[in-house]
Amino acid sequence: MTKYVKLIAVILLFSAPFLSCNKNLPVDEDGLLITFRRECFVSNFELLGTDYITVRNGAAVIDTVAQTINVTVLAGTDLKNVYPQFTLATDCKLDPKVTGKTDLSDLANPKVYTVVSGDRQVRKPYKLIIKF
Amino acid sequence: MLHKIVRFSFLFMLFSGLLFSCTKKEYAIPDPVSQLTNDCIKRSLGPNIANLPMEFAYAMAMPKPLGKLATAQVEATYGGATGTFLENRSFYTNTSGVDVPVLVGAPSFNVNKTTIMAFSVDTNAATLRYYYVVPDSAMGKTVSFKFSVSASNGQFASYNMGPYNISRMSIKKNLAVSNGANAYISIEDMAVYNGTAAAANPGKIDLVYLYRASPTTFTHALVSPGADPVYLPGVTLPAGVNKSAKIRKVFGLQDRNLANLQYGVYVDDIDFQQLDMNDMPNYAIGLRAEAGVWVETSDRKYRAYIFVNSITASGTAVISMLRYTM
Repeated sequence: MTKYVKLIAVILLFSAPFLSCNKNLPVDEDGLLITFRRECFVSNFELLGTDYITVRNGAAVIDTVAQTINVTVLAGTDLKNVYPQFTLATDCKLDPKVTGKTDLSDLANPKVYTVVSGDRQVRKPYKLIIKF
Repeated sequence: MLHKIVRFSFLFMLFSGLLFSCTKKEYAIPDPVSQLTNDCIKRSLGPNIANLPMEFAYAMAMPKPLGKLATAQVEATYGGATGTFLENRSFYTNTSGVDVPVLVGAPSFNVNKTTIMAFSVDTNAATLRYYYVVPDSAMGKTVSFKFSVSASNGQFASYNMGPYNISRMSIKKNLAVSNGANAYISIEDMAVYNGTAAAANPGKIDLVYLYRASPTTFTHALVSPGADPVYLPGVTLPAGVNKSAKIRKVFGLQDRNLANLQYGVYVDDIDFQQLDMNDMPNYAIGLRAEAGVWVETSDRKYRAYIFVNSITASGTAVISMLRYTM
């Protein structure tokens, strides 16, 4: 009986490292977990100035069908130096990434940000339209 | 048999290890104060800025039978600016946490780089405050101090402090600006001018203060003379006032020195060195009390941080300035 117990203990001991090394959770090129979620949308948008205070004049209007974000900013806002903040659906990511101070001063050519779903299969480009 | 030897060796090593680890170091009883001794701490925090005081607390004591304190003095590597003194009062902290002064000597006097205070009471212990007002000549350099005390029995003790880096920043506090009157700000002079004075020094004007109640987002503003006229509504600039400084708005950066010793935040040299002013505009509108702006002059000779101490709805404000020479 003791022999069997010892044998099982040894098998469990040796199998543990193999089990723990079993990878079945894929990550993308950014090291982010790829999940099964297909939701893909922007749920909120904020625009901050260099003083990290909002430069919005009213809430941003997000149209998830037309895939546009319309923002009216305060008069005198320096759009060369703003910090856009996107709130996305769970597990989504943004392309291109917002890494800091951003130039959004080219109002004639609105910048496009693409939302990528949690399973990385759905991509939805959102046009960021800014008005004074 | 082999097992027995192994067990015995193991036990032997275990117990001998315990014996070794229990070896005690001889405890030395701290030497009681048997002669004149002294100690010092620096009390002021933050960057050491020209024309602001650095504060120290210098403590000295000796056994009563040996005599009394005679003189205390501090020698700095650069003579202190006006206002440098060694307290002639000794402070102790009472049970309520309040520092209580006791007069112990005549007011101190300065001789070149040295500040001297002579004791006039029979005391064998004192803690004196030393206020060293940083001279302009020490900007960007380091300053060290030698605190020393002599006693009636001829004993002498000294304590070295430093070296301390002296900032390259200059400070000017509580400058009143008003819409249409004292509205022209010079970073170089760290001063505010009216239209007539601005016309006499057009090359020195970096910013214009203005207030417009409408639009409501405009209110208090600091605008470069060279900015788009849309940000200078109704302003006729004096001839030659046309420089364009870069301005970056900030909120919540309440430097303790600029905010008249409120808050615990300090702007230091490194902030100016690492400041990114690329692509910054030449205007800042919608300023409020306790907001601020980083400024870089058009010739890039100076960077400054201007803090808005207070504002009024009638178009006046009080500002304070830290200037860093690049």
